[in-house]
Amino acid sequence: MTTIERASTARPQWRTRFGGREGLIGWTILAVLILIAILAPVLAPHSSEAIDSTRIFAKPDLSHPFGSDDLGRDVFSRVLYAYRASLSIAIGSVLLAMIVGVPIGVFAGYVGGWADLVLMRAVDLLLAFPALLLAISLIAILGPGNAVALLAIAIIYVPIIARVVRSSVLVVRGQPYVLGARTRGASHWAIVRGHVLPNSAGPVLVQASVLMAFAIVIEAALSFLGLGSQPPTPELGLMLAEGNNYLTTAPWVEIFPGLAIAVTVLAFNLIGDGLRRSFDPHGVTR
Amino acid sequence: MNGRLEYALRRVLLTIPVLFATSIFVFLLIRLVPGDPVRTMLGIRATPDTIATVRSQLGLDHPLITQYWDWLRNALHGDLGQDFISHEKITSLLSVSMPITLELTILAMLLALVVGVPLGIIVAAKSGWTRRLSNGFVIGAISIPDFWLGIMLVLIFTGSLHLLPPTGWVAFTDNPAQNLRYMVLPVLTLATGQSAYILRTTRAAMLGTLSEPYIAFLRAKGLRQRSIVYLHALRNSSGPIVTVTGIQFGVLLGGAIVIENLFALPGVGRLIVTAISERNYVVVQGGVLVVACLFILVNLITDLVHGLLDPRVEEAVSR
Repeated sequence: MTTIERASTARPQWRTRFGGREGLIGWTILAVLILIAILAPVLAPHSSEAIDSTRIFAKPDLSHPFGSDDLGRDVFSRVLYAYRASLSIAIGSVLLAMIVGVPIGVFAGYVGGWADLVLMRAVDLLLAFPALLLAISLIAILGPGNAVALLAIAIIYVPIIARVVRSSVLVVRGQPYVLGARTRGASHWAIVRGHVLPNSAGPVLVQASVLMAFAIVIEAALSFLGLGSQPPTPELGLMLAEGNNYLTTAPWVEIFPGLAIAVTVLAFNLIGDGLRRSFDPHGVTR
Repeated sequence: MNGRLEYALRRVLLTIPVLFATSIFVFLLIRLVPGDPVRTMLGIRATPDTIATVRSQLGLDHPLITQYWDWLRNALHGDLGQDFISHEKITSLLSVSMPITLELTILAMLLALVVGVPLGIIVAAKSGWTRRLSNGFVIGAISIPDFWLGIMLVLIFTGSLHLLPPTGWVAFTDNPAQNLRYMVLPVLTLATGQSAYILRTTRAAMLGTLSEPYIAFLRAKGLRQRSIVYLHALRNSSGPIVTVTGIQFGVLLGGAIVIENLFALPGVGRLIVTAISERNYVVVQGGVLVVACLFILVNLITDLVHGLLDPRVEEAVSR
């Protein structure tokens, strides 16, 4: 008996391609940051929450490379711990948005017709709201906190993801290999899984990395406004808010958490640019 | 002309459902608060008397549909309710804070355009180190969170150089010069990231246009490079620039919420965030409604201008 391998048009190189030198730098930074977040208890030279009255606003030195804050806490250790909240909220919110947004986009793009019209009008309505304002409104309703921030960011991302997925599914749907699969008698589910999803994954991955970059900033901004993480949690935006009153006396309390955010955002942007070059040369996500 | 008018009309009509949906969301803002919104709002101020007053002010005893209808009718008549802490009308709070937000965002957008568009045009024609430098600027400016940039600018310009006042605000009508001095850092903060987006868009659009056959034809006809770039290529690249400017204006409105709080500018963003921390939901509602409507209006204008500049847009719609 002969078995026929299921035909797939997924391009195999997408797993191996990191998106050139830029992308590789981005992935390396991200990997280091994730390791830092996981290993924070091992790497941190001091406790992130221990108050030390002898070290209030102490300048950076060898054992405290980022100095100390208004309560004498070690800024370096707090930054290491803060990556936990930042990265998990940024990655978590985008994953959550993808779990909801990808099926919506695939359904709208693949089925078309009324389903497409209704879903995309709903998506347009959500996009008609400034993103940060929508997030802040949701937090106004549900109250501040990390989980709410994650949910709010995910909600503002769902329409963006659904739109990108839909437009690339629309392109893939018209390809000859999809028609071929259909004439061969393949089920819609098999077509979506074998052809549509793998071939439309590129743009959404590019978009996801860019959205993670924004999520880092949004999450920090929300905490900065007092709407995200609450004290005494070590969180980058919150640290910036706490240190802002002592800017001129202890600038290190403000400089290092901000740099920590910028490095993370840069990593995601480099990854996004690299992925864009590999997957989306025609610029669906631009 | 007919197609152009039809496109404009269609686009204006499309805003009606969006405005409708926005009004429902903003209306529900108070009603969706878990538990009793009035009790949450009043907190320690909650006495049976005050609870009853606020409840009747918000019409919470009526069915939801009636509540919405009354709220919408009042809103359309310019009555967004009353702040129960300061007892001021929401509209009079907004009439003070809205101009500040508009001044901040419009100045920032203008600065971003004045910097981003010319740089994008210049860079589009160049390669080598200019291209690499502009790439570096773009990715750097996009990666630096705007509020941190603002903090660093305060550190440099007021902490070290003592050139500008730190945070605060003076009304433009009281002292225009001082008002603008207070605006310099917030505007610079907001404009930096935006100029990077506009530079990138302008460069990409110009690169696309300059490689079109008709540009080669104009060159063959002997037109000067300058008139090719500024008269022909720029006009045909303006669509994406206008679109991105419109989209980025929405981002600016969001960014202004954070920047106003950082620089203590009493704009709508600061009004909203302060109101959230005081659980002053009526004020939150008014602020969110006004900013959302402004954003919808900007999107509408963007699409109309895009249609005017690029006839292909209206063709695509009327086809």
